Amino acid sequence: MSDPQQTASHRTGRNRPGQATAAFLRGEALRMAGLCTECGNCLRACPMRRLAPAAQDVDARTVLSGVRALLRGEVANTASLSWVAACSRSAQCHGVCPVEGLDPAFMMRVAKMRAMGALGDRPQITVQEDSQFSPRVKAFARLTLSSSEQEDWL
Amino acid sequence: MSADRTTDQDRAVFWYGCNMTRHGELIRNSARLLEAVGVAAEPAGGPAYCCGSAKESSAQIAGGMGERTVEAFNATGTPQVITWCPSCHMNTQDIMAPVTAPEFTTQHLSEVLHARRGRLAPMLRQRIGLRVLVHKHQGFNARVPVNDIVPELLRMIPGLEVLEHDLRIPGHMCSALVGVPGAILATQSDQLAAITESGADAVVTIFHSCHREMASLERGRTLKVFNWVHLLAQAIGWDAADDYKTWRNASDPRAEIGQARIEAAGEVAFERLTEPELRRPATI
Repeated sequence: MSDPQQTASHRTGRNRPGQATAAFLRGEALRMAGLCTECGNCLRACPMRRLAPAAQDVDARTVLSGVRALLRGEVANTASLSWVAACSRSAQCHGVCPVEGLDPAFMMRVAKMRAMGALGDRPQITVQEDSQFSPRVKAFARLTLSSSEQEDWL
Repeated sequence: MSADRTTDQDRAVFWYGCNMTRHGELIRNSARLLEAVGVAAEPAGGPAYCCGSAKESSAQIAGGMGERTVEAFNATGTPQVITWCPSCHMNTQDIMAPVTAPEFTTQHLSEVLHARRGRLAPMLRQRIGLRVLVHKHQGFNARVPVNDIVPELLRMIPGLEVLEHDLRIPGHMCSALVGVPGAILATQSDQLAAITESGADAVVTIFHSCHREMASLERGRTLKVFNWVHLLAQAIGWDAADDYKTWRNASDPRAEIGQARIEAAGEVAFERLTEPELRRPATI
């Protein structure tokens, strides 16, 4: 269990919902951008690269330099954006990264969030979120759960 | 079990996530399974308990959801939260816990049932004569070894033969592949080939989004699609009717559901929010 004194909420102070999370992710993005050596082991281990057309036949250093640019909130190259957009959290990169303290699966996740504009940057990839997500979840609940289950479990 | 022997490990919140509301019977039967192995777990989920992963294009919105959910669980005083959804589970570890300190431990449903499988086994008395292949993803297995745990649980069911195949689908579950052009088609083709190669009668999903994507594989095939909780419930003799799969594969989902049920759920919401998904063509 985490020590409350060490959480981002306490480090940053919580003024608005989500602010502490945004601060945490911004800090992690910069930390991971600093750690990555662009060795490319993660790219070579990735099962989704074959579904990232612009990342085919591009050298690993170019792709990873773009990922690091995304983490810093900068504009990334097309190959990097293609690969980041295809990341589906397979975690095959997890065991191949030689850098201590760097989880490449989490690095890719945060890079994808930044590419979608999660930290206020201009989006660089298409955002495919369901704008009706919550209403849809509730609509299905009304079909599959009894009234009392909806009252107690939602 | 007497009250004085009840421990913190015997009470929990069962956090079923958001999109599981398509599968009420999975929520209901998961809670019953937990109760049957001695864990009193009240289900909680839906938008009020969102991990935020559905809104990752805004760290502020996703973060607000995740922070609120941890605070809500902390307020219950529960010593443990039992997860269903791999996104929720990983989000808790990666983002939510570092930001808002949880006052509970987190375990996946499969881990809890597996740890208490000695209590589960004697209840699995109904024979299920099927040869099944489990639909396995790569991503979440690094956190929780579901690709081993779930087959081990299923092998306790009399008559059920759980087959092996090397196929591991990319992603942590199928919803992660939906936004990648060509990914679902490619992985479902791979899965069908693996089913044929192994000689399975049925494929068993582990997660809800995989079940949602794969339910339509039954169309025009003798293949059956189950979730692992359906099979455990069925082996105990509980109602495990899979309404979502029935509706998804019906030529007219509206007729299958029935007008009274649709009116009770709200005609406009049904028409706008659920019917288009149920009428979506099969991927393959």
